[in-house]
Amino acid sequence: MASALLPEFFALLGIDLFLMLSLLTCLLDDRMPKALPYIYQMAALAGFGHILVSKNFFTVFGDYMRFWYCFIYLLVSLANIVAVNVYFGVVNKQWTIAKFWSGAVTFPSILISIFFVANYGFLQGMSFPLFLQIALVLSAIIMGTSIAIFLSPEVLRNRSGRKRR
Amino acid sequence: MNLKNLPAKKTMKLLALLLTSLLIASVSAFTYYSLTISSTITVYAANVYFIEGTDNNTGPGPVILTLDSTNTTATITGLVAYKNASLTYTNVTLVYNNGGSASQLRLAPYTDPSTNPEDFVYVKFLLNATTAGDRRWLNYTSDGSSWTSPGSATSWTTTGLGASAMWPVVIMTKANATATASQTVDIAITVDVQ
Repeated sequence: MASALLPEFFALLGIDLFLMLSLLTCLLDDRMPKALPYIYQMAALAGFGHILVSKNFFTVFGDYMRFWYCFIYLLVSLANIVAVNVYFGVVNKQWTIAKFWSGAVTFPSILISIFFVANYGFLQGMSFPLFLQIALVLSAIIMGTSIAIFLSPEVLRNRSGRKRR
Repeated sequence: MNLKNLPAKKTMKLLALLLTSLLIASVSAFTYYSLTISSTITVYAANVYFIEGTDNNTGPGPVILTLDSTNTTATITGLVAYKNASLTYTNVTLVYNNGGSASQLRLAPYTDPSTNPEDFVYVKFLLNATTAGDRRWLNYTSDGSSWTSPGSATSWTTTGLGASAMWPVVIMTKANATATASQTVDIAITVDVQ
C-alpha cells in the first residue's frame, strides 16, 4: 500500500526550492543583489523550522492547519522563483537568462508543485475532476508558451514581420 | 558561464552555500522521515489472548465457549447457577501469553448485570494466577432487589503472566433459594493487558 504524503512534504519541497534559488543566485551574483543567496538560505532554515514545529505539535495541529501553513510556504518559494524570473526579464532586460530561467527553473518547479498538490489531494480522498485536469494541462501549456513569448519578444517580432511581408 | 573560470572567492562562497544547503536539506528530510515514522501504526496480532479450557462443552448447560477469529473475545453461554449452592467453573477459558515477555493483566467491568436480581446471589470472576499475589477478583453480588457491581477495574498484576504461560478465568455462580428456574443474567467483563 502506498504511504500517504504528509502536509509537511510541501514545506520540504519549498525548502529545496529555496536552496536551489540560493545556489543559482550565488552563481549569478554579478546580476543579482549580493545578499540574495543568504536570504534564501535563511528562508530555507525557516522552512526547517516549519517542519520542526509540525513535529513537536503533531497531535495538537490538525491536518487542515498543517496543510495550509506548509502549502503557503511552498507558494512563497514559487513566488520567489517567478519574481527572480521577472527581475531578469523586466528589470534587468536580460532576456537570455530569463528564458533559460523560465524553461529550466520556473516552469518545472510549478509543474512539480502542481503534481504533488494534486497527488496529495487524491490521497486525501479529494476528487480531481476531468475538466480541472484538462484546464490544468491547458493552463500549463499557455503559461509556458506565454512566458517564452514574453521573454523572447524577437519571436513575436519575426512572426509579425513575416506576416507583413 | 564556465565554472572553471569562477574566481576563488566566488568558488568558496558557492562551496559554503552548497555545504549549508546539503545540511539543511538532509536535516529537513530526516525530520520529515521521522514524522512519517511517528504517524505510522502497524497492525499486529495480540500476544495475549483467550484459549479453550477443559470445562468447555461440559456440565449441565452445557457450557459453550465461543472465541472470535482473533481469540480476543470469548463468549461463554450455558453457565448454570444452582439454588442456594455455589458452582465453580474452573477451566472454561484461559488467558494465554504468546509473547516473549511477561504481561500485566487486570479484570474490569464492561456491562453490568441488570436483570433478575431476585434470582441470583452472586456471579464472581477470578483471574486465577499461579502466584497468589496476582490473583484478581471481580464480584457481582445481589441482595435480592438489586445488583452490586464493582465500580472500577482491579489493580494490575505485579508478577504478570509470563511468556507461554496461561491462567484460567474461574467463574463462580450461586442462585437464590427462591429463584425462578430459567431466569438469566448477562455480564460482560474485560481482561486488560499492558
